[in-house]
Amino acid sequence: MKLDIVFAGVGGQGIVVASDIFCEAALLDGWDVAKAEVHGMAQRGGSIVAHVRIGDNVQAPLIEKGKADMILGFEMLETARTLSMLSKNGTVLVNTKYISPSTYFDTSKKSLTSEKLFMMLQENAKRLFTVDGQSIAVKLGNLRVVNTVLLGAFSTLLEDSIQIESLKKAISDRLKDKHVAVNLKAFQFGREQVVLS
Amino acid sequence: MPSKISLNKPGSYLLLNGDEAVARGAIEAGVKLAASYPGTPSTEILEAIADVAKKFGIHAEWSINEIVALEVAAGSSMAGLRSIVSMKHVGLNVASDAAMTLAYTGVIGGLVIAVCDDPAMHSSQNEQDTRYFSPHSDLPLFDAGNPQEAKDMIVEAFEMSERLELPVIVRLTTRVAHGKGKVKIGAIKSLSRKAAFDKDPKRWVMVPSNSIKRHRVLKQKLRKAKELVNKSKFNLIEDNKKEIGIVGSGIGYYYARSVVDTSMFSWLKLGLVYPFPLELFKKFSANIKKIFVIEELKPYVENQVKYAHPEVLGKQRLGLNEIGEFSPDILKDVFVRLGLSEKLEIRADLELPSRPPVLCPSCPHRAFFYALNSARQFVNCDPKRCVGCVVCEYACSLVKEKTFNPGKSRIKTIRLNPLSNIAVACRVCEDPACIQACPEGALIQSEEKGVIRVDEAKCNGCGWCIESCEYGALTLHSGSGKIIVCDTCDGEPACIKWCPESALSLKGKNKDKIVTGDIGCYTLGFMPPVEALQSCLCMGAGISQAAGMFHAGVEDKVFAVIGDSTFFHAGIPGLLNIAYNQANVCVVILDNRVVAMTGHQPTPGSGINALGEKTKMISIKDITRAVGIEKVEVVDPYDLRGTQKVIRDILDYNGPSVIISERPCPLRVEKGKIREISDECNSCGVCVEAFGCPAISINANLAEIDPTLCYGCGVCEQVCPFDVIRSKEQ
Repeated sequence: MKLDIVFAGVGGQGIVVASDIFCEAALLDGWDVAKAEVHGMAQRGGSIVAHVRIGDNVQAPLIEKGKADMILGFEMLETARTLSMLSKNGTVLVNTKYISPSTYFDTSKKSLTSEKLFMMLQENAKRLFTVDGQSIAVKLGNLRVVNTVLLGAFSTLLEDSIQIESLKKAISDRLKDKHVAVNLKAFQFGREQVVLS
Repeated sequence: MPSKISLNKPGSYLLLNGDEAVARGAIEAGVKLAASYPGTPSTEILEAIADVAKKFGIHAEWSINEIVALEVAAGSSMAGLRSIVSMKHVGLNVASDAAMTLAYTGVIGGLVIAVCDDPAMHSSQNEQDTRYFSPHSDLPLFDAGNPQEAKDMIVEAFEMSERLELPVIVRLTTRVAHGKGKVKIGAIKSLSRKAAFDKDPKRWVMVPSNSIKRHRVLKQKLRKAKELVNKSKFNLIEDNKKEIGIVGSGIGYYYARSVVDTSMFSWLKLGLVYPFPLELFKKFSANIKKIFVIEELKPYVENQVKYAHPEVLGKQRLGLNEIGEFSPDILKDVFVRLGLSEKLEIRADLELPSRPPVLCPSCPHRAFFYALNSARQFVNCDPKRCVGCVVCEYACSLVKEKTFNPGKSRIKTIRLNPLSNIAVACRVCEDPACIQACPEGALIQSEEKGVIRVDEAKCNGCGWCIESCEYGALTLHSGSGKIIVCDTCDGEPACIKWCPESALSLKGKNKDKIVTGDIGCYTLGFMPPVEALQSCLCMGAGISQAAGMFHAGVEDKVFAVIGDSTFFHAGIPGLLNIAYNQANVCVVILDNRVVAMTGHQPTPGSGINALGEKTKMISIKDITRAVGIEKVEVVDPYDLRGTQKVIRDILDYNGPSVIISERPCPLRVEKGKIREISDECNSCGVCVEAFGCPAISINANLAEIDPTLCYGCGVCEQVCPFDVIRSKEQ
């Protein structure tokens, strides 16, 4: 077994924590695991990509271009940016949120919209799933649970390789006690509200 | 949640990043003291140790800088205890004065220096290769390629350090330090040593007569180390009886293995690379036709082996770069070029706008930089909006002259109806033509704001200045017959408030000053649209570069910005130097009470130590006074007007000065009231194009604040010329 996953989004969206939880769950299920992430210069607002590799024997944490089985996108522009990582038959699951980069004065690029980004993703992914993490998080009254909503949605695509119970245990282990209940709820909402586009 | 690195179940597996693995290795080795200064990607080593320090009786500290950290560790090791010091690659430059001579004295308790290099400079100012520090200092060096190796090497490095009585370096790179992997843990050693110092001056007092002897001792130790490296378990041959042998060090070796069928080659993994295991290499390469050397950055291994085998392919012949980091893709290309692997079709990268690193929303550094950029301002008019209604003239005359009389206004409307209309006020030029034109010497430019002041006693109303001004911004007062000119009403011009078409706004300028910087979040202030600083060399450099520019005789006022932690690390000597040598430089200490960029470690000014306990709070203000700075001002950068006032005052001041800009990092405190923008917004763009808060964007001709990104500092409210930003109703 080999599963290479790219997590992509914007600093502050909880990508580091979500990919950590995912890796811990893979470890609980007995897989070899390697993960690479770069803590860029900015604490918030820059591009963040994490490479997660699980399988029987993983040599190194970075994924080759064109070999990622899946992309879990937290933000649409950053997801589109990593499409060259995706394999021909790759799957993308994306949070339907576009955070425009602070490049307004760059007028040539002004015309980028979430609709255009969505088209790009649809053209390049063999299967594209979407989830509106933001709305679910608003419904739960906590904007910081978007990442567990996405993990929940993602878990529906992984049932052969990672067990739901392992993910839930990893969430409970990784987060502070007072945040566990709302995140488990978010995880469940994500599972229920993922849509195949 | 108890820290997982304290788990005492030898043989079980943990998911650890390279830094945590180093921490675990140190705990297994029975370390008793850990010292460090934060620096990406090494920071998490000390954080992980500090988490369990009490449990294992370890003294863990954030030292003031890397050389202090190494000296603290050296002291503890001289007293017989195992000690670890961790830093990023450039930190080793700071510590190298101590390290070079510590190689002569040697150590008693094991001393390990964990150093994290940053190929590709994800978060650094250079990409030096620490492996070359070892031939320079004669300190043995391990090079870790994954977290498991990092953990195991630390344990081994402590053993080796005590056997040789020599500090030992363990080197990681960013992808190892911040990459996670499965790590099999070992037993935790418990050493019950009593700290004691054996006063042996011949060994510890490094004066020439003693040093020469200790240098000989060092060379003897190296001979002993050479025997160890050829037998080390970290230098490993995988002999597949093939014609091509691949030799590698660090993570590059594993990338190579991940992109080819490993059975096609023989392999030599080098983990203990100084002293170099040349005998082992000779044994490996004896029956091999071609050797490929795979290593990031400099050709260290290549230079060691190139005369030991007739066919060594290294950087040049494999087409591998000394600049930047490796990736599986880069190595795949090498094997494809040589016909040893198949090319894979991949999608081209899409053309998309970049998302560069920026200062966070609510960052007090942005607020300060905005104040600095806009300390000299003028009233600007958008001709597309101006309808030539002259309301501005009435507003001006009312405020300045208590009368509605456009003839006494300092702003002038020019009507070319229906073609164009525009209002003109003084532009606070750099080298004003009006001043040169005045035959009476009646005009002077104020240093603080740049506004033109008129000496009414001297002005005779000749009007030469009016002729000389290319903007047509000066006017004769209709009553007195003397010149009048806009003074921007101290930053709150009435004309802007009154303009019914929102055509007027305050524009800032930053061309009258030089701003040097150094390493920290605030370095990001060089990026557009803030563009407030113009240099970054190394920790603390900005202060002394600014002094050098002043002594060289630059005309502009020089400011040096430095963060609180960087000030404690490397700024104090520079500040003392400008006081001693009387440089007309303003040092701005951006005090956010935390080492923000590396992930919020405490500073001496925070009153908290590495374990999160209360400790003595060190006052930056007291230090600045103590080193001899007489002019010290404290500002709150969220108060734009107050900050600008102080900056203008400093622009006028001649001599060494300090501004301390105090505001905690917003990521560490409760959010303020989220702001929103009303639909009266006319999309003038100041909040985005000049202030540059990433929480604000302009969509469909309205500025918008993303409530999930806004931290509620409210500075945008002060920046908005049209008062359309306000607190959101909760």
